[in-house]
Amino acid sequence: MNRQVVHETDAAFHSKRSRFRGRSFKEAIEFYLFISPWFIVFIVLGLIPLLYGLYLSFTNYAGFNMDRLVFVGLDNYRKVFTDNDAMYSLGRTLFFTVIMVPSTIILGFLLAVLLNQNIKRIGFYRTLFFIPSIIPVVAVGTMWRSLFVDDGIVNKMLEALGLEAVDWLGYDYAIYPLIIMLLWGVGGGILIYLAGLKGVSKDLYEAAAIDGATTIQRFVKITIPLVTPVLFFQFIMSIISSLQIFVQPILLAANSNSLLSTPLRPNYVYSVHAFQQIFAYGRFGYGLALLWVLFVMILILTIVVFTTSRFWVFYEVDQEGK
Amino acid sequence: MKRSWWTACLSVLVISSLLLMSACGGGNGTNSPGNNGGSDAADGESKDTAKSGEQVVIRHTMYDTEFTSELVAEFEKTHPNIKVEIVSADYNKLMAMMAAGNGPDIIRTNSVTELPGFVLKGMAMDLTENFQASKVFNIEDFLPVVNQFKYDIASGKHGEGAIYGFPKDWSPDYTIYYNKKLFEEAGVPFPSSTEAMTWQELVELANKLTVKNGKKTTQYGLAYYNSTIAANQDLLNLQLLQRGSSMFSADFSQAELDKPGTKDLLNFWLDTAKSGIGPSPLQQETDWGGQLFVDNKAAIIIAGYWFSGFLKTNELTKDRLDDFGVAPAPVVEGGKRISPTGAGTGAIIYKNTKHPKEAWEVFEWFFGAEPAVERAKAGYGLPGTKTLTEMLPQESAFDKMNYDFIQNELQYTDGSLPYNPYLNYQAVNSIIDKYFTPVYFDKDTVDGAVQKMTEELNTLITEGKQLVSP
Repeated sequence: MNRQVVHETDAAFHSKRSRFRGRSFKEAIEFYLFISPWFIVFIVLGLIPLLYGLYLSFTNYAGFNMDRLVFVGLDNYRKVFTDNDAMYSLGRTLFFTVIMVPSTIILGFLLAVLLNQNIKRIGFYRTLFFIPSIIPVVAVGTMWRSLFVDDGIVNKMLEALGLEAVDWLGYDYAIYPLIIMLLWGVGGGILIYLAGLKGVSKDLYEAAAIDGATTIQRFVKITIPLVTPVLFFQFIMSIISSLQIFVQPILLAANSNSLLSTPLRPNYVYSVHAFQQIFAYGRFGYGLALLWVLFVMILILTIVVFTTSRFWVFYEVDQEGK
Repeated sequence: MKRSWWTACLSVLVISSLLLMSACGGGNGTNSPGNNGGSDAADGESKDTAKSGEQVVIRHTMYDTEFTSELVAEFEKTHPNIKVEIVSADYNKLMAMMAAGNGPDIIRTNSVTELPGFVLKGMAMDLTENFQASKVFNIEDFLPVVNQFKYDIASGKHGEGAIYGFPKDWSPDYTIYYNKKLFEEAGVPFPSSTEAMTWQELVELANKLTVKNGKKTTQYGLAYYNSTIAANQDLLNLQLLQRGSSMFSADFSQAELDKPGTKDLLNFWLDTAKSGIGPSPLQQETDWGGQLFVDNKAAIIIAGYWFSGFLKTNELTKDRLDDFGVAPAPVVEGGKRISPTGAGTGAIIYKNTKHPKEAWEVFEWFFGAEPAVERAKAGYGLPGTKTLTEMLPQESAFDKMNYDFIQNELQYTDGSLPYNPYLNYQAVNSIIDKYFTPVYFDKDTVDGAVQKMTEELNTLITEGKQLVSP
């Protein structure tokens, strides 16, 4: 390297520094100060614990051996793929995801379409369907459990109709209360769907009506394409939340008295397995590896959905950078 | 522009001070008035000592319902050099505190399921000499239950060797309370209060007391306070102890669930659950066993002496105590009659405490002096010494019945339930729940479940052993 280059870099550095001293420097500082409340909290309470967790997933951390941690390399990750229960619970989680994602999107969207009508007391109905998503999940679980127990209301109703009572919380039926309970909260998305539906211009419907389009045609050709950005968002969010189902199966477990209760096999999902590995078995390192695998899976699925989005999501305005 | 600059600065200030405050709060738990206040809290006890003469802070994890603020005040009055502070910590928080080298001085410990593990993890201080030198404790006076705080590291024997702690109160947890009214309705004679039934006899008795409406049970013959009457490690360990056996090899390095005796017991509980005489995965209940009992929905409950205190204070039972009787813990056919405690909760002293002398002063007072006498007189549990046992309440007919019963049952309380020191109690629960529950629903066989449970237990035992002896 010759002297000239050094001089040039030096000069560039000086001019940069002087620019920083000026107005733009002050603006930059202001910018960082403004985002700092969120940024500091994110780093301290978000990023550092996450990375620390990642580090621990490569150790034999068991909750008490911090002073003599052993680095075990990829052992914990290898275990994830050889642990029968991890794979079994992953299968169950995917099963619930496959059921939950389409049903929450279809039901949620249809519900929102109904709640978008101009009828009397629509506000009341909107509130009614939104309520389940503001009730604490533990209360929801306890409620559904007491509805589904042997002498619960559901069985009483069946008997009143002359049907036979069903062992809802038993092995053969256990998935149904869980799915019903999860679907009960489907109204949580209506807020976002409604916002999407309100965003569809009335002019389009009027124009279509003049051209003689039927209600169904208008719904399929105008409403659905124009709310695809919202559907896309809900699609991603419901994939994430379905893969993370955790407390609902525990609340319906046969011996449900703590977070460590084990759900029946059909409801034994991945997050429950990870939680048990950490808090019942004391395998913190392995449990963290399980959770990082889940994280990567969610990431991959999200990326896949994102890449498909350009084939089916329609934006009315051009996206930045396209 | 100027204004926004200041807003930004202010928000940074607020957030950082909030963070600082929360950090301080987490570091030292509660700060009672009279302490040096929030600013010094994070610095810990050494500074406190320096500022207010020779005062030392002793932190403990007993519950505030046990080591009440009144007791703390009483202690601090006579011990001006010691300040007692409560730190509430569940198992995971306790372990985090250990990991940070910041363990509480006195650690609440379940002697039956936790003590050996705590000793192996290097958490417990050997208190043998303290007990020998103590003027408050008299080793000769100890009941067998105190042995649960003994562990011999060399031989791995629980119940022998050095002593690490003392029980607060305890009960022989597998004794039986029954509802006389439900016995009379079924025309069944009361069980003996001195002779133990076999488990088989208990189940047969419960069968007579079970009322069914079609397939559904409307009145249970038998309930277990802690869980359902399905196979669980507590009941299995008791039966195995009575047989002189265990789920594990003698040195706890292997799970041996496939021994014929153990399989018989698993089959026994499988049949019991299927017969519908009590709550089980096949007959789920939202209430715990005690609630079913006071609601007259269960005729017999397996629960300890503490349950008499529960009956005395429960709104549904306190005015009809004569309806209830008590009987000894059942025994395995051909086994030895042992009626041990299932918990024997007390405390140990943290091995690396900075103030061993003061910690012992607090320990000795709480577990041996006035508070122990008060607890014995209240009768919510049994004390750790023979002398204090004399002080248990015996005024009312119900108290007298419990007192007489306990005096007899105490002869059979010596014995250590064979919990594995390398395994978390919760882990064994989860494993049994996970693999044995499908058997009730005919989705697996006893043999299949035994094989899966053994495999998983062995993996965990190997890991657990490596962790305590790297």
